[in-house]
Amino acid sequence: MAKQAPGVRIDGLTVVYKTPAGELPAVRDVTLTLEPGTITGIVGESGSGKSTMALSLLNAVQPPGRIAAGSVEIDGLGDVVGLRGEELRKARGKHIGYVFQAAQNSLNPLKTVGKQLLDLGRSHGVDDLRGLVREAKELLGRMGLDGARVLDSHQHELSGGMRQRVGIMLALVLNAHLVVLDEPTTALDMITQANILKIVREVHAERGLTTLVITHDIGVVAEVADRLAVMYGGRLVEQGPTRHVLGAPRHPYTRGLIRAIPRLVGDIAEAQALPGRPPTLATVPKEGCVFRERCPLRMDVCDTVDPEAHADGARAVACHAVTVKEHA
Amino acid sequence: MVVIARRLAGHLARGVVMILVVATISFFIVRSIPGDPIAAHTQKLIEQGMAPEAAEQATRVLYGFQATGSLWEQYGDYVAGLLTFDLGQSVTHAGAPVTEVLGEAAKWTVLPVLAGTLLSFLVGIILGVYAAVKRSGKLGDVLAVSGSLLHGVPQYVLGLLLSAIFATLIPILPGDGPVDILYEPGFNAGYIGSLAEHAVLPVATYTLAAYGGWVLAMKSSVVTVLGDDFILAAELRGMKRSIVFRYIARNAILPLFTILALSLGLLLGGAVFIERIFNYPGLGLLLIESITMRDYALMGGAFLLITVSIIVANILADLFYSVIDPRVRSGEEVSA
Ligand SMILES: Nc1ncnc2c1ncn2[C@@H]1O[C@H](COP(=O)(O)OP(=O)(O)O)[C@@H](O)[C@H]1O
Ligand SMILES: [Mg+2]
Repeated sequence: MAKQAPGVRIDGLTVVYKTPAGELPAVRDVTLTLEPGTITGIVGESGSGKSTMALSLLNAVQPPGRIAAGSVEIDGLGDVVGLRGEELRKARGKHIGYVFQAAQNSLNPLKTVGKQLLDLGRSHGVDDLRGLVREAKELLGRMGLDGARVLDSHQHELSGGMRQRVGIMLALVLNAHLVVLDEPTTALDMITQANILKIVREVHAERGLTTLVITHDIGVVAEVADRLAVMYGGRLVEQGPTRHVLGAPRHPYTRGLIRAIPRLVGDIAEAQALPGRPPTLATVPKEGCVFRERCPLRMDVCDTVDPEAHADGARAVACHAVTVKEHA
Repeated sequence: MVVIARRLAGHLARGVVMILVVATISFFIVRSIPGDPIAAHTQKLIEQGMAPEAAEQATRVLYGFQATGSLWEQYGDYVAGLLTFDLGQSVTHAGAPVTEVLGEAAKWTVLPVLAGTLLSFLVGIILGVYAAVKRSGKLGDVLAVSGSLLHGVPQYVLGLLLSAIFATLIPILPGDGPVDILYEPGFNAGYIGSLAEHAVLPVATYTLAAYGGWVLAMKSSVVTVLGDDFILAAELRGMKRSIVFRYIARNAILPLFTILALSLGLLLGGAVFIERIFNYPGLGLLLIESITMRDYALMGGAFLLITVSIIVANILADLFYSVIDPRVRSGEEVSA
């Protein structure tokens, strides 16, 4: 299998969770392409289905959830939705690296990082374990850590920023070329956040990766992503090149998100929190636009018809109001 | 290592103090029992025609401390005796040293209870993991429910039941005493075989009564660990199932070791019913006997032994924990 940045085509992906009220979609009919070698950012408030979508890339949606429809084609792997058992296990870690939220404890608290690295190597049939350790030390050194010391440490001996770098190391050490980072800087202090993002950018470029960064913090994607996709209530409401989406947001939700960022320069009062709260699985409207309850541009049609994504060059927006205006 | 050594030193110091406190309390309790058993004993010996000096000497030997002199002098004598493991002599055992009587009885307590505890722990752990993994299946339910049911049945009910069935109705197992007197005590096949045969029912009773608790504890521990982020993380890194299983098992079993060590500490005092039903001359029976017969030296010794075993078990549990849990080893909070 050629080891180079793979392309990813998510098509019509729907993921549902079983709830007392039946199976409800957390991700609904999402279509998104990750171009080889790019960094794509996904933003949206908490609960909009970002993590669920990220897990779908590894076909790892946890029960009571399941992928109900759609496909996730990854170059070199095929449709991961159809992968099972050992095939799926081997794809994880080796082809797709997954980095957890920084504050999450993604390491076995009873084992040193080094021992877990060896467990990882053995799981994937790595013969040259010395080589693996060397590679790990190099990656850690590359991220500004003392590799030997870190491999000798337990999780509780590492700071949040160090753990996050260990997570990135473990995602890359088997030479995965598709990397998914779910909230990589949440719960880190500002300086560590900036460091981690710098590392993500640099490692991405050096290794020639295809990277997906998931965050609720639009500032984070602004910093690293080539392309941006905005999620709300399980739907992809807008996507396009980062500069365009941030410079000229079209979807009222995207505009609301951007207005809500407190800028360092300028009047803090200018930042306006988005009114209302994001929907939960139970409160997402079954028909019509998912955002209409909080939307300043709400029209009658929004109550009944779910807006389709309209493509316009490299950008796409799913909003009746925007479409009407353009066609007027 | 330094941390462990420091912990050990702290524990030992605290342990010694606690043992001293318990010994002190039991000394003063015996001394304050109405009618002063010590004076009464001396008096009795004198009435029986013994010279006062000899009577006092005999009483002193019996109780491990002097009947004359101030209370503090007597206390000093008692503590001095303790330091040389002299707990006095047992009136009800023809004046045999208390330590010897206790040692003899302890062996009949430790054998069935230790085997029963370890066996129930093992069985409970294995079934608990299974019940947790298959918690949505029928067998998982059956395990969990039967576990809690048996956990609620008192030990003596199970003991009487087993004894009635396997020793009386279908007499395939001995249910009377710890060993056949036919055999020469020692390391020979006949004796050991007889020991094992006699231990089957008491150990089975103990195991049946106790494994349910372990099943429930292990099940909930595994379910907790299954929900931990690092398990999902390991799966998403493509770790082999066997390795993920080891991660789960090791993390889930950790908190149970503390409970195990503590229940081993209670082991010396905790099997009165089993000893009675299966006629094991163990510590539980001895303690009851010493109370009914007012054998104060023996009583104090038995309490002291039970206390010491609990303290020692606590120390061992903590040290063991700090060996297997790196968070404790480096002196951090486990909950971090
Ligand atoms: N295991 C689960 N069972 C039921 N609902 C879930 C489960 N996991 C997530 N959800 C629901 O799915 C929606 C999307 O969650 P998630 O993908 O975690 O969003 P995000 O990562 O954007 O915060 C939320 O409404 C959440 O409550
Ligand atoms: Mg999330």
